[in-house]
Amino acid sequence: MLLPWEYGVRNLARRPVRTALTLAALATVVMLVFVVVGFIRGLEKSLAVSGDENVVLIYSVNSEENIENSSISARTPSLLSASLDSVVKRFGVVHVSPELYMGTRVKTEVGDGGLGLVRGVSLTTPLVRRSVKLIEGDWPASGEVMVGRLAAAKIGSSEAAMMVGKSIDFEGRVWKISGQFTAGGAAFESEVWCGLSDFQTSTKRQDLSLVALLLSPGSNAAEADLFCKERTDLELRAIRETDYYASLQQHYKPVRLLAWCVVLLVSAAGIFAGLNMMYGAVAGRVREIATLQAIGYRRRAILISLMQEGVTLSATGSLLSGVIALTLLNGVAVRFTMGAFTLRIDSVAILVGCGVGLLLGVVGTLPPALKALRAEVATSLKAI
Amino acid sequence: MKTVNGLTLMGLSFLAVGCGPSEVASGPNGAYSASKSQYLVDSEPSDAIPVGKARESIEDGQDVTLVGLIGGSSDPFVEGLAAFTIVDPKVPCCAPDEGCPTPWDYCCTQDQVKDNIATVKIVDDSGRPVVHGARGLLGVKELSTVVVHGKAIRDDQGNLTVAANKVFVRPSN
Repeated sequence: MLLPWEYGVRNLARRPVRTALTLAALATVVMLVFVVVGFIRGLEKSLAVSGDENVVLIYSVNSEENIENSSISARTPSLLSASLDSVVKRFGVVHVSPELYMGTRVKTEVGDGGLGLVRGVSLTTPLVRRSVKLIEGDWPASGEVMVGRLAAAKIGSSEAAMMVGKSIDFEGRVWKISGQFTAGGAAFESEVWCGLSDFQTSTKRQDLSLVALLLSPGSNAAEADLFCKERTDLELRAIRETDYYASLQQHYKPVRLLAWCVVLLVSAAGIFAGLNMMYGAVAGRVREIATLQAIGYRRRAILISLMQEGVTLSATGSLLSGVIALTLLNGVAVRFTMGAFTLRIDSVAILVGCGVGLLLGVVGTLPPALKALRAEVATSLKAI
Repeated sequence: MKTVNGLTLMGLSFLAVGCGPSEVASGPNGAYSASKSQYLVDSEPSDAIPVGKARESIEDGQDVTLVGLIGGSSDPFVEGLAAFTIVDPKVPCCAPDEGCPTPWDYCCTQDQVKDNIATVKIVDDSGRPVVHGARGLLGVKELSTVVVHGKAIRDDQGNLTVAANKVFVRPSN
Protein backbone atom coordinates (compact mmCIF):
# COMPACT_ATOMS: atom_id res chain seq x y z
CA MET A 1 0.00 0.00 0.00
CA LEU A 2 1.35 3.42 -0.98
CA LEU A 3 1.25 6.47 1.26
CA PRO A 4 -1.40 9.01 0.26
CA TRP A 5 -0.25 11.64 -2.26
CA GLU A 6 -1.25 14.41 0.16
CA TYR A 7 1.14 13.06 2.81
CA GLY A 8 4.24 14.00 0.80
CA VAL A 9 2.84 17.37 -0.23
CA ARG A 10 1.80 18.25 3.33
CA ASN A 11 5.23 17.24 4.59
CA LEU A 12 6.71 19.97 2.40
CA ALA A 13 4.45 22.53 4.02
CA ARG A 14 5.35 21.31 7.52
CA ARG A 15 8.84 22.81 7.21
CA PRO A 16 8.26 25.96 5.16
CA VAL A 17 11.68 27.57 5.65
CA ARG A 18 13.63 24.41 4.77
CA THR A 19 11.31 23.81 1.81
CA ALA A 20 11.69 27.40 0.59
CA LEU A 21 15.47 27.24 0.87
CA THR A 22 15.62 23.90 -0.95
CA LEU A 23 13.32 25.26 -3.64
CA ALA A 24 15.50 28.36 -4.07
CA ALA A 25 18.64 26.22 -4.35
CA LEU A 26 17.06 23.87 -6.91
CA ALA A 27 15.66 26.80 -8.92
CA THR A 28 19.10 28.47 -8.95
CA VAL A 29 20.79 25.32 -10.26
CA VAL A 30 18.15 24.92 -12.99
CA MET A 31 18.46 28.63 -13.84
CA LEU A 32 22.23 28.24 -14.29
CA VAL A 33 21.57 25.33 -16.64
CA PHE A 34 19.09 27.48 -18.58
CA VAL A 35 21.64 30.29 -18.92
CA VAL A 36 24.40 28.02 -20.22
CA VAL A 37 22.17 26.00 -22.56
CA GLY A 38 20.54 29.25 -23.75
CA PHE A 39 24.03 30.56 -24.54
CA ILE A 40 24.94 27.45 -26.54
CA ARG A 41 21.64 27.42 -28.42
CA GLY A 42 21.88 31.14 -29.15
CA LEU A 43 25.39 30.80 -30.56
CA GLU A 44 24.43 27.78 -32.64
CA LYS A 45 21.30 29.45 -33.95
CA SER A 46 23.15 32.66 -34.83
CA LEU A 47 25.74 30.75 -36.88
CA ALA A 48 23.14 28.41 -38.39
CA VAL A 49 20.92 31.19 -39.75
CA SER A 50 23.88 33.27 -40.93
CA GLY A 51 24.60 32.45 -44.51
CA ASP A 52 22.63 32.10 -47.69
CA GLU A 53 22.94 28.90 -49.73
CA ASN A 54 23.09 30.93 -52.97
CA VAL A 55 25.69 33.43 -51.80
CA VAL A 56 29.40 32.90 -52.44
CA LEU A 57 32.03 34.95 -50.64
CA ILE A 58 35.23 35.88 -52.46
CA TYR A 59 38.07 37.05 -50.26
CA SER A 60 41.83 36.89 -49.89
CA VAL A 61 43.42 33.46 -49.79
CA ASN A 62 45.95 34.79 -47.29
CA SER A 63 43.38 35.73 -44.65
CA GLU A 64 42.54 32.09 -43.80
CA GLU A 65 39.06 32.07 -42.23
CA ASN A 66 39.19 35.66 -40.99
CA ILE A 67 37.49 38.02 -43.43
CA GLU A 68 38.44 41.04 -41.30
CA ASN A 69 42.06 40.46 -42.32
CA SER A 70 41.23 40.09 -46.00
CA SER A 71 42.37 42.64 -48.55
CA ILE A 72 41.52 42.26 -52.22
CA SER A 73 41.77 44.49 -55.22
CA ALA A 74 38.95 47.01 -55.84
CA ARG A 75 38.63 45.76 -59.42
CA THR A 76 37.67 42.26 -58.26
CA PRO A 77 33.86 42.84 -58.45
CA SER A 78 34.02 43.89 -62.11
CA LEU A 79 36.31 40.96 -62.96
CA LEU A 80 33.90 38.54 -61.29
CA SER A 81 30.85 40.07 -62.97
CA ALA A 82 32.50 39.74 -66.35
CA SER A 83 33.81 36.22 -65.83
CA LEU A 84 31.02 34.32 -64.09
CA ASP A 85 27.80 33.35 -65.85
CA SER A 86 26.03 32.02 -62.78
CA VAL A 87 25.74 35.37 -60.95
CA VAL A 88 22.16 36.70 -60.86
CA LYS A 89 21.57 39.64 -63.16
CA ARG A 90 18.19 41.40 -63.07
CA PHE A 91 17.14 44.53 -64.98
CA GLY A 92 20.77 45.06 -65.91
CA VAL A 93 21.97 44.99 -62.29
CA VAL A 94 24.49 42.29 -61.43
CA HIS A 95 23.96 40.99 -57.89
CA VAL A 96 27.51 41.52 -56.68
CA SER A 97 28.23 43.22 -53.37
CA PRO A 98 31.69 44.73 -52.81
CA GLU A 99 32.27 45.18 -49.09
CA LEU A 100 34.88 46.55 -46.73
CA TYR A 101 34.59 44.91 -43.34
CA MET A 102 36.60 45.59 -40.22
CA GLY A 103 36.56 45.77 -36.46
CA THR A 104 37.12 49.25 -35.10
CA ARG A 105 36.54 51.25 -31.92
CA VAL A 106 33.08 52.82 -31.94
CA LYS A 107 32.05 55.54 -29.48
CA THR A 108 28.54 56.81 -28.80
CA GLU A 109 27.39 60.37 -27.98
CA VAL A 110 27.34 59.55 -24.26
CA GLY A 111 30.95 58.47 -24.37
CA ASP A 112 30.60 54.73 -23.90
CA GLY A 113 31.61 52.29 -26.58
CA GLY A 114 33.92 49.49 -27.54
CA LEU A 115 35.04 47.36 -30.44
CA GLY A 116 32.39 47.34 -33.14
CA LEU A 117 32.08 45.63 -36.50
CA VAL A 118 31.64 48.03 -39.40
CA ARG A 119 30.77 47.05 -42.96
CA GLY A 120 31.07 49.42 -45.88
CA VAL A 121 28.29 48.49 -48.32
CA SER A 122 26.80 49.63 -51.59
CA LEU A 123 23.28 49.79 -53.03
CA THR A 124 23.65 46.28 -54.45
CA THR A 125 24.29 44.81 -50.97
CA PRO A 126 20.60 44.31 -50.07
CA LEU A 127 20.18 42.38 -53.32
CA VAL A 128 22.76 39.86 -52.10
CA ARG A 129 22.24 40.04 -48.31
CA ARG A 130 18.58 39.15 -48.60
CA SER A 131 17.93 38.55 -44.89
CA VAL A 132 18.61 42.19 -44.02
CA LYS A 133 15.48 44.24 -43.37
CA LEU A 134 15.38 47.93 -42.53
CA ILE A 135 12.97 48.17 -39.59
CA GLU A 136 13.32 51.86 -38.78
CA GLY A 137 14.65 54.96 -40.53
CA ASP A 138 16.37 55.07 -43.91
CA TRP A 139 19.26 53.61 -45.88
CA PRO A 140 22.42 55.55 -44.95
CA ALA A 141 23.35 58.54 -47.06
CA SER A 142 26.83 60.05 -47.02
CA GLY A 143 28.07 60.51 -43.44
CA GLU A 144 25.35 58.23 -42.10
CA VAL A 145 25.20 54.66 -40.82
CA MET A 146 22.51 52.11 -40.11
CA VAL A 147 22.90 49.85 -37.13
CA GLY A 148 21.95 46.24 -36.56
CA ARG A 149 19.52 45.22 -33.82
CA LEU A 150 22.39 43.89 -31.67
CA ALA A 151 25.04 46.49 -32.53
CA ALA A 152 24.59 48.22 -29.16
CA ALA A 153 25.27 44.92 -27.35
CA LYS A 154 28.38 44.28 -29.45
CA ILE A 155 29.76 47.77 -28.78
CA GLY A 156 28.84 47.54 -25.11
CA SER A 157 26.52 50.52 -25.18
CA SER A 158 22.83 51.07 -24.43
CA GLU A 159 20.11 50.78 -27.03
CA ALA A 160 19.08 54.37 -26.27
CA ALA A 161 22.51 55.61 -27.37
CA MET A 162 22.20 53.76 -30.68
CA MET A 163 18.74 54.95 -31.67
CA VAL A 164 17.93 56.50 -35.02
CA GLY A 165 18.91 60.18 -35.00
CA LYS A 166 21.81 59.71 -32.56
CA SER A 167 25.45 59.86 -33.63
CA ILE A 168 28.40 57.54 -33.24
CA ASP A 169 32.10 58.12 -33.74
CA PHE A 170 34.56 55.81 -35.45
CA GLU A 171 37.61 56.12 -37.69
CA GLY A 172 37.96 59.79 -36.68
CA ARG A 173 34.56 60.82 -37.97
CA VAL A 174 31.09 61.39 -36.54
CA TRP A 175 28.33 59.38 -38.24
CA LYS A 176 24.60 59.99 -37.87
CA ILE A 177 22.44 56.89 -37.34
CA SER A 178 19.89 56.91 -40.15
CA GLY A 179 18.26 53.53 -39.65
CA GLN A 180 18.11 50.23 -37.82
CA PHE A 181 17.99 46.78 -39.40
CA THR A 182 17.43 43.14 -38.52
CA ALA A 183 18.74 40.06 -40.31
CA GLY A 184 16.65 37.19 -38.96
CA GLY A 185 19.12 36.48 -36.16
CA ALA A 186 22.14 36.37 -38.49
CA ALA A 187 25.58 37.74 -37.57
CA PHE A 188 24.92 41.00 -39.48
CA GLU A 189 22.65 42.14 -36.65
CA SER A 190 25.66 43.09 -34.52
CA GLU A 191 27.19 45.25 -37.27
CA VAL A 192 27.17 48.90 -38.28
CA TRP A 193 26.70 49.53 -42.01
CA CYS A 194 27.77 52.62 -43.90
CA GLY A 195 28.45 53.59 -47.51
CA LEU A 196 31.45 51.79 -49.00
CA SER A 197 33.11 54.86 -50.51
CA ASP A 198 32.55 56.83 -47.29
CA PHE A 199 34.18 54.09 -45.28
CA GLN A 200 37.08 53.76 -47.73
CA THR A 201 37.70 57.50 -47.45
CA SER A 202 37.61 57.42 -43.65
CA THR A 203 39.93 54.43 -43.39
CA LYS A 204 42.18 55.69 -46.22
CA ARG A 205 41.83 52.35 -47.96
CA GLN A 206 41.10 51.66 -51.59
CA ASP A 207 40.86 47.91 -51.34
CA LEU A 208 37.96 45.65 -50.38
CA SER A 209 37.63 42.92 -47.78
CA LEU A 210 35.32 40.69 -49.77
CA VAL A 211 32.89 40.42 -52.61
CA ALA A 212 29.59 38.62 -52.05
CA LEU A 213 27.91 37.12 -55.12
CA LEU A 214 24.34 35.92 -55.42
CA LEU A 215 24.25 32.85 -57.66
CA SER A 216 21.23 31.72 -59.63
CA PRO A 217 19.29 28.99 -57.82
CA GLY A 218 20.74 25.57 -58.55
CA SER A 219 24.01 26.91 -59.97
CA ASN A 220 27.34 25.60 -58.83
CA ALA A 221 29.69 27.58 -56.58
CA ALA A 222 32.54 25.61 -58.18
CA GLU A 223 32.58 28.06 -61.10
CA ALA A 224 33.59 30.88 -58.74
CA ASP A 225 36.13 28.64 -57.06
CA LEU A 226 37.64 27.70 -60.43
CA PHE A 227 37.92 31.38 -61.34
CA CYS A 228 39.87 32.00 -58.13
CA LYS A 229 42.15 29.03 -58.80
CA GLU A 230 42.82 30.14 -62.37
CA ARG A 231 43.51 33.76 -61.43
CA THR A 232 46.35 32.92 -59.05
CA ASP A 233 47.67 36.48 -59.41
CA LEU A 234 44.61 37.83 -57.57
CA GLU A 235 45.16 35.46 -54.61
CA LEU A 236 41.45 34.88 -54.05
CA ARG A 237 39.42 32.11 -52.57
CA ALA A 238 35.72 31.35 -52.91
CA ILE A 239 33.48 29.77 -50.33
CA ARG A 240 29.75 29.33 -50.09
CA GLU A 241 28.47 31.58 -47.30
CA THR A 242 26.80 28.65 -45.54
CA ASP A 243 30.12 26.75 -45.60
CA TYR A 244 31.88 29.80 -44.16
CA TYR A 245 29.55 29.89 -41.17
CA ALA A 246 29.73 26.10 -40.86
CA SER A 247 33.51 26.49 -40.52
CA LEU A 248 32.90 29.09 -37.79
CA GLN A 249 30.67 26.53 -36.06
CA GLN A 250 33.67 24.20 -36.11
CA HIS A 251 35.89 27.05 -34.89
CA TYR A 252 33.62 27.61 -31.89
CA LYS A 253 33.21 23.88 -31.19
CA PRO A 254 35.61 24.01 -28.19
CA VAL A 255 33.54 26.89 -26.72
CA ARG A 256 30.37 24.87 -27.13
CA LEU A 257 32.00 21.76 -25.65
CA LEU A 258 33.23 23.82 -22.74
CA ALA A 259 29.73 25.20 -22.22
CA TRP A 260 28.27 21.67 -22.19
CA CYS A 261 30.96 20.75 -19.62
CA VAL A 262 29.72 23.70 -17.53
CA VAL A 263 26.17 22.29 -17.78
CA LEU A 264 27.48 18.93 -16.52
CA LEU A 265 29.48 20.53 -13.71
CA VAL A 266 26.58 22.76 -12.62
CA SER A 267 24.25 19.74 -12.68
CA ALA A 268 26.73 17.66 -10.67
CA ALA A 269 27.16 20.49 -8.15
CA GLY A 270 23.37 20.79 -7.97
CA ILE A 271 23.00 17.05 -7.33
CA PHE A 272 25.58 17.18 -4.53
CA ALA A 273 23.87 20.21 -2.99
CA GLY A 274 20.52 18.42 -3.30
CA LEU A 275 22.01 15.30 -1.69
CA ASN A 276 23.33 17.36 1.16
CA MET A 277 19.97 19.01 1.76
CA MET A 278 18.01 15.79 1.46
CA TYR A 279 20.40 14.00 3.85
CA GLY A 280 19.66 16.76 6.34
CA ALA A 281 15.93 16.59 5.68
CA VAL A 282 15.70 12.81 5.98
CA ALA A 283 18.04 12.63 8.99
CA GLY A 284 15.59 14.77 10.93
CA ARG A 285 12.76 12.43 10.06
CA VAL A 286 14.23 9.09 11.10
CA ARG A 287 11.58 8.53 13.80
CA GLU A 288 8.78 9.45 11.42
CA ILE A 289 10.05 7.00 8.81
CA ALA A 290 10.41 4.25 11.44
CA THR A 291 6.89 4.96 12.71
CA LEU A 292 5.50 4.62 9.19
CA GLN A 293 7.26 1.24 8.92
CA ALA A 294 5.94 0.21 12.34
CA ILE A 295 2.33 0.90 11.40
CA GLY A 296 2.69 -1.29 8.34
CA TYR A 297 3.88 0.77 5.37
CA ARG A 298 6.43 -1.06 3.30
CA ARG A 299 9.85 0.43 2.68
CA ARG A 300 9.12 0.79 -1.05
CA ALA A 301 6.00 2.87 -0.29
CA ILE A 302 7.96 5.17 2.05
CA LEU A 303 10.77 5.49 -0.52
CA ILE A 304 8.26 6.47 -3.23
CA SER A 305 6.71 9.05 -0.89
CA LEU A 306 10.13 10.59 -0.13
CA MET A 307 10.96 10.68 -3.83
CA GLN A 308 7.58 12.26 -4.48
CA GLU A 309 8.51 15.06 -2.08
CA GLY A 310 11.87 15.59 -3.81
CA VAL A 311 10.43 15.49 -7.32
CA THR A 312 7.52 17.81 -6.39
CA LEU A 313 10.02 20.32 -5.05
CA SER A 314 12.42 20.03 -8.01
CA ALA A 315 9.58 20.18 -10.55
CA THR A 316 8.31 23.36 -8.88
CA GLY A 317 11.85 24.79 -8.97
CA SER A 318 12.20 23.85 -12.67
CA LEU A 319 8.85 25.45 -13.54
CA LEU A 320 9.76 28.59 -11.61
CA SER A 321 13.13 28.84 -13.36
CA GLY A 322 11.52 28.03 -16.70
CA VAL A 323 9.06 30.92 -16.35
CA ILE A 324 11.82 33.33 -15.29
CA ALA A 325 14.11 32.13 -18.11
CA LEU A 326 11.40 32.49 -20.74
CA THR A 327 10.28 35.92 -19.60
CA LEU A 328 13.57 37.53 -18.55
CA LEU A 329 16.46 35.61 -20.18
CA ASN A 330 15.10 34.66 -23.59
CA GLY A 331 16.34 37.15 -26.19
CA VAL A 332 18.89 38.88 -23.95
CA ALA A 333 21.81 40.07 -26.11
CA VAL A 334 25.23 38.58 -25.39
CA ARG A 335 28.48 40.14 -26.60
CA PHE A 336 30.87 37.70 -28.26
CA THR A 337 34.06 37.81 -30.33
CA MET A 338 32.25 37.32 -33.64
CA GLY A 339 29.62 39.93 -32.81
CA ALA A 340 26.62 39.48 -30.59
CA PHE A 341 23.75 37.03 -30.35
CA THR A 342 20.74 36.50 -28.14
CA LEU A 343 20.24 33.86 -25.46
CA ARG A 344 17.82 31.33 -26.81
CA ILE A 345 15.58 29.47 -24.38
CA ASP A 346 14.09 27.06 -26.90
CA SER A 347 12.61 23.58 -26.60
CA VAL A 348 16.07 21.99 -26.20
CA ALA A 349 17.00 24.40 -23.40
CA ILE A 350 13.67 23.77 -21.64
CA LEU A 351 14.13 20.00 -22.02
CA VAL A 352 17.70 20.02 -20.66
CA GLY A 353 16.89 22.47 -17.82
CA CYS A 354 13.76 20.66 -16.65
CA GLY A 355 15.45 17.27 -17.16
CA VAL A 356 18.31 18.32 -14.89
CA GLY A 357 15.75 19.67 -12.39
CA LEU A 358 13.83 16.41 -12.22
CA LEU A 359 17.08 14.43 -12.05
CA LEU A 360 18.07 16.51 -9.02
CA GLY A 361 14.78 15.52 -7.37
CA VAL A 362 15.23 11.80 -7.99
CA VAL A 363 18.99 11.38 -7.57
CA GLY A 364 19.15 13.80 -4.63
CA THR A 365 16.50 11.90 -2.67
CA LEU A 366 17.45 8.28 -3.32
CA PRO A 367 20.70 7.81 -1.30
CA PRO A 368 19.54 9.51 1.97
CA ALA A 369 16.13 7.81 1.78
CA LEU A 370 17.72 4.39 1.25
CA LYS A 371 20.08 5.02 4.15
CA ALA A 372 17.19 5.92 6.47
CA LEU A 373 15.18 2.91 5.38
CA ARG A 374 18.07 0.48 5.98
CA ALA A 375 18.19 1.36 9.69
CA GLU A 376 16.51 -0.94 12.24
CA VAL A 377 12.93 0.16 13.05
CA ALA A 378 13.39 -0.32 16.80
CA THR A 379 16.62 1.70 16.85
CA SER A 380 15.15 4.45 14.68
CA LEU A 381 12.09 4.78 16.91
CA LYS A 382 14.40 5.65 19.81
CA ALA A 383 16.38 8.16 17.74
CA ILE A 384 16.34 11.77 18.87
CA MET B 1 8.81 -17.29 -30.08
CA LYS B 2 8.49 -17.70 -33.82
CA THR B 3 8.22 -13.94 -34.18
CA VAL B 4 11.37 -13.43 -32.09
CA ASN B 5 13.29 -16.00 -34.18
CA GLY B 6 12.04 -14.40 -37.38
CA LEU B 7 13.15 -10.95 -36.27
CA THR B 8 16.56 -12.27 -35.18
CA LEU B 9 17.01 -13.98 -38.57
CA MET B 10 16.03 -10.78 -40.38
CA GLY B 11 18.43 -8.74 -38.23
CA LEU B 12 21.29 -11.14 -38.93
CA SER B 13 20.52 -11.01 -42.67
CA PHE B 14 20.70 -7.20 -42.61
CA LEU B 15 23.96 -7.43 -40.67
CA ALA B 16 25.40 -9.86 -43.21
CA VAL B 17 24.36 -7.65 -46.12
CA GLY B 18 25.73 -4.56 -44.35
CA CYS B 19 29.09 -6.19 -43.78
CA GLY B 20 29.44 -7.44 -47.37
CA PRO B 21 32.04 -6.08 -49.78
CA SER B 22 31.18 -2.67 -51.23
CA GLU B 23 30.85 -2.25 -54.98
CA VAL B 24 32.50 1.17 -54.72
CA ALA B 25 36.23 1.17 -54.25
CA SER B 26 37.80 3.50 -51.77
CA GLY B 27 40.36 5.94 -53.02
CA PRO B 28 43.14 7.57 -51.06
CA ASN B 29 40.81 10.41 -50.18
CA GLY B 30 37.27 9.12 -50.27
CA ALA B 31 35.28 6.77 -52.43
CA TYR B 32 35.53 6.85 -56.19
CA SER B 33 34.09 4.83 -58.97
CA ALA B 34 35.84 1.52 -59.43
CA SER B 35 35.52 1.86 -63.19
CA LYS B 36 38.63 3.56 -64.45
CA SER B 37 38.30 7.17 -65.52
CA GLN B 38 38.64 7.79 -69.27
CA TYR B 39 41.01 10.66 -68.48
CA LEU B 40 43.55 8.47 -66.69
CA VAL B 41 46.35 6.95 -68.78
CA ASP B 42 48.46 3.91 -67.93
CA SER B 43 51.78 5.15 -69.22
CA GLU B 44 53.41 8.44 -68.41
CA PRO B 45 53.31 10.94 -71.29
CA SER B 46 56.81 11.76 -72.48
CA ASP B 47 58.56 15.14 -72.48
CA ALA B 48 56.74 16.47 -69.45
CA ILE B 49 58.04 19.82 -68.30
CA PRO B 50 57.84 21.25 -64.79
CA VAL B 51 55.35 24.03 -64.05
CA GLY B 52 57.93 26.78 -63.51
CA LYS B 53 59.55 26.20 -66.91
CA ALA B 54 56.16 26.00 -68.61
CA ARG B 55 55.14 29.39 -67.19
CA GLU B 56 58.23 30.88 -68.84
CA SER B 57 58.00 29.24 -72.25
CA ILE B 58 54.50 28.00 -73.07
CA GLU B 59 52.14 30.22 -75.03
CA ASP B 60 48.38 30.38 -75.15
CA GLY B 61 46.76 27.55 -77.13
CA GLN B 62 49.90 25.41 -77.24
CA ASP B 63 49.77 21.68 -76.46
CA VAL B 64 51.65 21.02 -73.25
CA THR B 65 52.59 18.17 -70.91
CA LEU B 66 53.14 19.33 -67.35
CA VAL B 67 54.40 17.62 -64.25
CA GLY B 68 53.65 18.89 -60.76
CA LEU B 69 52.44 18.10 -57.28
CA ILE B 70 48.85 18.83 -56.33
CA GLY B 71 48.95 21.72 -53.87
CA GLY B 72 49.61 25.42 -53.61
CA SER B 73 46.92 26.27 -51.04
CA SER B 74 45.22 24.64 -48.11
CA ASP B 75 42.49 23.42 -50.47
CA PRO B 76 43.95 22.87 -53.94
CA PHE B 77 40.89 21.04 -55.30
CA VAL B 78 37.77 22.66 -56.72
CA GLU B 79 34.81 20.96 -55.05
CA GLY B 80 32.39 19.60 -57.65
CA LEU B 81 34.67 20.07 -60.67
CA ALA B 82 37.63 18.06 -61.90
CA ALA B 83 40.09 20.89 -61.33
CA PHE B 84 43.04 21.53 -59.04
CA THR B 85 46.27 23.46 -58.79
CA ILE B 86 49.72 21.92 -59.19
CA VAL B 87 53.10 23.20 -58.07
CA ASP B 88 56.52 22.65 -59.64
CA PRO B 89 58.27 19.64 -58.02
CA LYS B 90 61.37 21.78 -57.39
CA VAL B 91 59.47 23.87 -54.79
CA PRO B 92 59.94 22.23 -51.40
CA CYS B 93 56.99 21.69 -49.11
CA CYS B 94 57.10 21.08 -45.38
CA ALA B 95 58.82 17.84 -44.45
CA PRO B 96 56.67 15.24 -42.65
CA ASP B 97 58.81 15.53 -39.48
CA GLU B 98 57.98 19.26 -39.20
CA GLY B 99 54.48 18.33 -38.09
CA CYS B 100 52.71 20.67 -40.53
CA PRO B 101 49.09 19.47 -40.84
CA THR B 102 48.74 20.81 -44.43
CA PRO B 103 52.17 20.56 -46.13
CA TRP B 104 50.47 20.94 -49.55
CA ASP B 105 49.82 24.64 -48.89
CA TYR B 106 53.57 25.30 -49.13
CA CYS B 107 53.22 27.72 -46.22
CA CYS B 108 57.01 28.03 -45.79
CA THR B 109 57.75 28.66 -49.47
CA GLN B 110 54.78 30.76 -50.60
CA ASP B 111 57.09 33.27 -52.29
CA GLN B 112 58.28 30.53 -54.65
CA VAL B 113 54.80 29.19 -55.34
CA LYS B 114 53.42 32.20 -57.21
CA ASP B 115 55.84 31.67 -60.15
CA ASN B 116 55.56 27.88 -60.07
CA ILE B 117 51.86 27.19 -59.94
CA ALA B 118 49.38 26.18 -62.63
CA THR B 119 45.71 25.26 -62.66
CA VAL B 120 44.62 21.99 -64.22
CA LYS B 121 41.05 21.46 -65.29
CA ILE B 122 39.99 18.18 -66.81
CA VAL B 123 37.78 18.92 -69.79
CA ASP B 124 35.44 16.77 -71.85
CA ASP B 125 35.36 16.54 -75.65
CA SER B 126 33.48 19.83 -75.89
CA GLY B 127 36.12 21.58 -73.79
CA ARG B 128 33.97 22.04 -70.67
CA PRO B 129 35.26 21.11 -67.21
CA VAL B 130 34.11 17.69 -66.05
CA VAL B 131 31.48 18.06 -63.32
CA HIS B 132 32.99 15.59 -60.87
CA GLY B 133 35.50 16.12 -58.07
CA ALA B 134 39.05 15.26 -59.13
CA ARG B 135 39.66 13.19 -56.02
CA GLY B 136 36.91 10.79 -57.00
CA LEU B 137 37.49 10.93 -60.73
CA LEU B 138 41.24 10.38 -60.71
CA GLY B 139 41.89 8.88 -57.27
CA VAL B 140 44.36 11.61 -56.40
CA LYS B 141 44.99 13.53 -53.20
CA GLU B 142 47.06 16.47 -52.03
CA LEU B 143 50.77 16.16 -52.97
CA SER B 144 50.06 13.43 -55.56
CA THR B 145 52.48 13.85 -58.45
CA VAL B 146 50.58 14.12 -61.72
CA VAL B 147 51.60 14.44 -65.35
CA VAL B 148 48.89 16.16 -67.37
CA HIS B 149 48.56 16.67 -71.10
CA GLY B 150 46.32 19.28 -72.69
CA LYS B 151 46.02 22.75 -74.11
CA ALA B 152 47.61 25.72 -72.35
CA ILE B 153 45.52 28.78 -71.54
CA ARG B 154 47.55 31.90 -70.74
CA ASP B 155 46.37 35.36 -69.75
CA ASP B 156 48.04 38.77 -69.63
CA GLN B 157 48.82 38.35 -65.93
CA GLY B 158 50.97 35.28 -66.61
CA ASN B 159 48.58 32.73 -65.15
CA LEU B 160 48.76 29.27 -66.66
CA THR B 161 45.81 26.90 -66.91
CA VAL B 162 45.89 23.53 -68.64
CA ALA B 163 42.66 22.20 -70.13
CA ALA B 164 43.77 18.59 -69.79
CA ASN B 165 42.34 15.45 -71.29
CA LYS B 166 45.03 13.01 -70.16
CA VAL B 167 46.29 12.54 -66.63
CA PHE B 168 48.93 10.16 -65.38
CA VAL B 169 49.30 9.76 -61.63
CA ARG B 170 52.80 8.78 -60.58
CA PRO B 171 52.73 6.06 -57.97
CA SER B 172 53.82 7.42 -54.59
CA ASN B 173 57.07 6.07 -53.13
